[in-house]
Amino acid sequence: MIEATELTKRYGDRTAVDRLSFTVRPGRVTGFLGPNGAGKSTTMRLILGLDSATAGRVTVGGKAYADLPVPLRAVGSLLDAKGVHGGRSAYHHLAGLAASNGIPRHRVEEVLDLVGLPEEAARRRTKGFSLGMGQRLGIAAALIGDPEVLILDEPVNGLDTEGIRWIRGLMRSLAAEGRTVFLSSHLMSEMELTADHIVVIGQGRLLADTTMRDFIETNSRAHTLVRSPEPEKLRALLETAGAQVRLEPTGGWRVEGPDAAAIGDLARDHGVAVHELTPAHSSLEEVYTALSQSSVEYRTEDRSTVDRSTVDRSTEDRSTDDRPAAPSPKETVR
Amino acid sequence: MTTSVLGSQALAYEWIKFRSVRSTVWTTVATALLPVLGAVFVATTGSLQSDDTVLGGSLTLSVVAQMLAAVVGALVMTGEYSSGTIRTTFAARPRRSTVLAAKAALVAGVMYVLALASCTLAYLLGDALLPEGRYAQGDPLPALFGIAASFAVAAVLGLAVGTLVRHSAGAVTTVIGLLLLPSLFGPLFGDAERWIAGLSPTAALEKLIQTSDAAADTVGSLGPWPSLLLVAAYTTALALGALVLLRRRDV
Repeated sequence: MIEATELTKRYGDRTAVDRLSFTVRPGRVTGFLGPNGAGKSTTMRLILGLDSATAGRVTVGGKAYADLPVPLRAVGSLLDAKGVHGGRSAYHHLAGLAASNGIPRHRVEEVLDLVGLPEEAARRRTKGFSLGMGQRLGIAAALIGDPEVLILDEPVNGLDTEGIRWIRGLMRSLAAEGRTVFLSSHLMSEMELTADHIVVIGQGRLLADTTMRDFIETNSRAHTLVRSPEPEKLRALLETAGAQVRLEPTGGWRVEGPDAAAIGDLARDHGVAVHELTPAHSSLEEVYTALSQSSVEYRTEDRSTVDRSTVDRSTEDRSTDDRPAAPSPKETVR
Repeated sequence: MTTSVLGSQALAYEWIKFRSVRSTVWTTVATALLPVLGAVFVATTGSLQSDDTVLGGSLTLSVVAQMLAAVVGALVMTGEYSSGTIRTTFAARPRRSTVLAAKAALVAGVMYVLALASCTLAYLLGDALLPEGRYAQGDPLPALFGIAASFAVAAVLGLAVGTLVRHSAGAVTTVIGLLLLPSLFGPLFGDAERWIAGLSPTAALEKLIQTSDAAADTVGSLGPWPSLLLVAAYTTALALGALVLLRRRDV
């Protein structure tokens, strides 16, 4: 259990974390979301006592991190900057950590095995490690004390698809064992698949602290995707019926207001053919983008985009991410 | 958990980190080799002042080795900052005073043992190779223990500077400057030379090895042991200052 109360961190006149209060409970994966620069890494450093809070407090299992008698047995952490000396072997990195908290040496082989780092790679200096191997070493270090609480900053960074799937499974199984798992990401799509609960921040402030399902349901509006060979006629009909109709970037209309059944009936009554009728929820990506839009600190796009609709913005996001423009399966799932 | 258990775990951690990185290991090896090589060089070339002692001549390069000891002390801390392992270290051992104390105990202990062995060997070699009776012998005991202690103190001084400065290059430059500059620039200060040059760890070491360089008009008339104590005292003060900063700073 991690509890932050009115946690605040200021660097000079810049407030990185602003009266942040949230609770991370055991037995589930809690995602920590926010755009780059939102204060996620700072918050994690505050939890670990690496940075001292300007005001407020944060505890792990009811204690400040510095007061934990055997910190690595209580909390495992992986920070954004790896924290591994390039000239030291993975084995010695882990052996040192084990020694620092009185953890038996054989635990080093166990965690190496657990994260899939082969023995001969572990004996090499970490300078030559790929991003993925480095990340696996970081996870191994976090798990060395078999801790109750895991705090991981961007754990999927640099991992390939197989690695990402592995982390996802590992996080879920650790949470299923009753551990507290707190992981940050700026990738919504990743969180949507891994987290049960989310804490969303923007510019250091709390935007949401809720279950994933609630978050999507309260924040996303249901809509329907409609395709017709007579698009303009259908659009006129729908708008007369009071629906909001927008062009879907992949073709067809995105309709808010009437549900799929009402749209189907309306089309039939007026003899308009319908080729697709798909009820959908906004994906977490869209919801998150809409929510964090106002609090993104470093934005590359023009200010004028703020007034545009959710769907336009998420499309823009997606194209900058180099994602395929095909209809996202996530949208139709829900 | 008792303080001694915490301390020994922190020390075990520092020991593993110390011996698993090349920079600290090789600088330490060089520290131990220099006095021995120096003794062989000086004895075979006979490059001693006529008023030098066998002890002082044999340990000519111990002054350079002492600088390397200070560099090792600095690297033990700055290496953690440059690689980012300082965060890992403080996550593993959040009490920063324990971490600094463990590092100090480690570098002081390693340097004391190595310097004692290396300088004793250097003296024995010099004594065996130099012609009998041409130079005053000097008193190797208990001076050798003081010499070893001066290495330990220099290493802690380096650690304190490394903790304050945090960057390897900056810390190494500062620490070598601290050891080298007083004797280099001392002569510029006229009568004040013996106060300025006499304060440095190098001066304490020169007095302990009883070299002809350690004349009262250049490094002061304070005896070798009081000089060592003086250096130890300001090193302790600097280390405590570094601790205050270390505890306050974000990493």
